[in-house]
Amino acid sequence: MGETFPALLSQALLAGALVTVKVAAGSLAIAMALGLALAAILFLTRNRFAHGLIRLYVEALRNVPSLTFLFLLYFGLAAVGVKLSSTAAALAGLGLIGGAVCVDIFRSGFRSVPDGQCEAAASVGLSPVMAFRLIVLPQGLRLALPSIGNYAISLIKDTSLVAAIAAPEVMFNARQLVNETFQTALIYGCAAVVYLVLTTAVAQTVLLVERCLELR
Amino acid sequence: MFLDTIADNLTDWGPRLLAGLRLTLILTLAGFSAAFVLGLAVEYFRSRPHGPIRIIANLYITVARGVPILVILYLLYFALPGVGIILPSFVGGATGLALVYAAYLAEVFRAGLGAIPPGHREAAVASGLTPIQTFRLILLPQAIKHTISPLLVNLVSLLKDSSICALIAVPELTLASRELMAESFLPLHVFALTAALYFALAWPASVLARYVEERLHAPGERLPAAAANFTSNSARSGVSQA
Repeated sequence: MGETFPALLSQALLAGALVTVKVAAGSLAIAMALGLALAAILFLTRNRFAHGLIRLYVEALRNVPSLTFLFLLYFGLAAVGVKLSSTAAALAGLGLIGGAVCVDIFRSGFRSVPDGQCEAAASVGLSPVMAFRLIVLPQGLRLALPSIGNYAISLIKDTSLVAAIAAPEVMFNARQLVNETFQTALIYGCAAVVYLVLTTAVAQTVLLVERCLELR
Repeated sequence: MFLDTIADNLTDWGPRLLAGLRLTLILTLAGFSAAFVLGLAVEYFRSRPHGPIRIIANLYITVARGVPILVILYLLYFALPGVGIILPSFVGGATGLALVYAAYLAEVFRAGLGAIPPGHREAAVASGLTPIQTFRLILLPQAIKHTISPLLVNLVSLLKDSSICALIAVPELTLASRELMAESFLPLHVFALTAALYFALAWPASVLARYVEERLHAPGERLPAAAANFTSNSARSGVSQA
C-alpha cells in the first residue's frame, strides 16, 4: 500500500462522495422529469384509465422499501437477461421511486394554485393547456420547491443503500476500507460527517432559493 | 409461468418469508414505540426556553435527520464493539431505527402542539385548570388530531426502512428473501413476492393516513382551496379528493 491511513480515508470518502452526488443528481433529474410529466397528465386529463395507471405506479413504489426495489432491479432483472450495471440500477431504482414521490409533490403544488386563476385564464381565452403552461405551472413549481428540497435530502441518504448492490459510493468505499484497516468507528464516523455535509449543503441551497423566490 | 413458479415454491418459501415478516413486524413495532417515547423526550427538551440541553436536542435532530440510517446502523453494530459494547443485530437494528425516527417524531409532535393557538392554554389556565389538566383535556386531544396522520406516515416509512436492517444481519423479511435468492437462483420471483408482502403491510396504513388527514384536515394544508373559506371540517370531508 505505502500510503498513510488519512490519505487512504480521504481518498475513499471523496471518490465515494463523487459517486454519491452523481447518483443523487441523476436520480433527482429522472424523478423530477417523471413526476412533472405525470403530474401534468393528472392535471390536464380527466381520463380515468390514465389516472388509475398513475395512481397504481405511485402506490406501488411508495409502499415498497427502496432496498427491496433495488434488489428487484439489480438481481431480479439480471436473472431474466436484463443486466444493469450497479450504477444504472441505482439510477433507475431511485429515479422510479422518486418519480412516485414527485408526482404527489407536484400535484399538490398545482392544486394549491387557486381555482380562480384557471377560471380567469379561461375567461381571457387561454386554452387549458396554455393556462396550465403559463399560469399553473410557474406558480405550482414554486409552491412545490420546499417539498422537492426535502425529497432531495432524503434521496442523498437513500443513495447509501446503493452500497448493497455494489456501486462504489461513500458507504461502499467506507466498508472496503474497514475491511482493510479495521478502523471501524473512525471510518463510519467520517462517512457520517460526509453525509451531514452533503445534506446540510442541499438544505441551505433550498433555503437560499426559497428566499430568492420570496417563499419565506 | 411466473406465478406458477412462485406457487411451486410456496411451500418452501412461504414459512421462511413469513418468519422474516414476523421479525419485520416486531422490529417495526419495537423501533416505533421506542422512537415515540424518545421523540416526546427530545421534543420536551427542545421546547425548553434555553440552556445547553436545548442545544443538544437540536444538534441531535440535525444529525439524526442528516445521516443515512445505514451509517447509524453500521456505527451501532460494527463500531460499538470497538468500545466494548456488543449489541445483538436485532437490538442494534431496533435502536438505530428508534434513534433516527425519534428525530422525525419530535418534529411531528412539535407541529401538533404548535398548531394549537396559545389562547387555548391561557384560557384553560385562566378558568382554573391545573397544568396537567390543561395538557390532558385541552392540548392533548387537539394535538392528537394533528399528529395521527403524520405518525402513520412515519410508521410506514419506518416499516420500509426496517429492510435496511438486513445489511446488519437482522434476519427480517429482506434478509430472508436474500437467502432464498441465493439458494433458488430465482431473484425476480423472490423479490417480487417480498415487495408484495411489504406492500400488503404498508399500503393499508398509507391509505388510512391519507383518509385521516382528509377527515381531520391537519395543518400543512394539502387542501388550500377548501381551507381558504374556513368551512367546518365535516362539511367537506366526503368530497375533498377525486
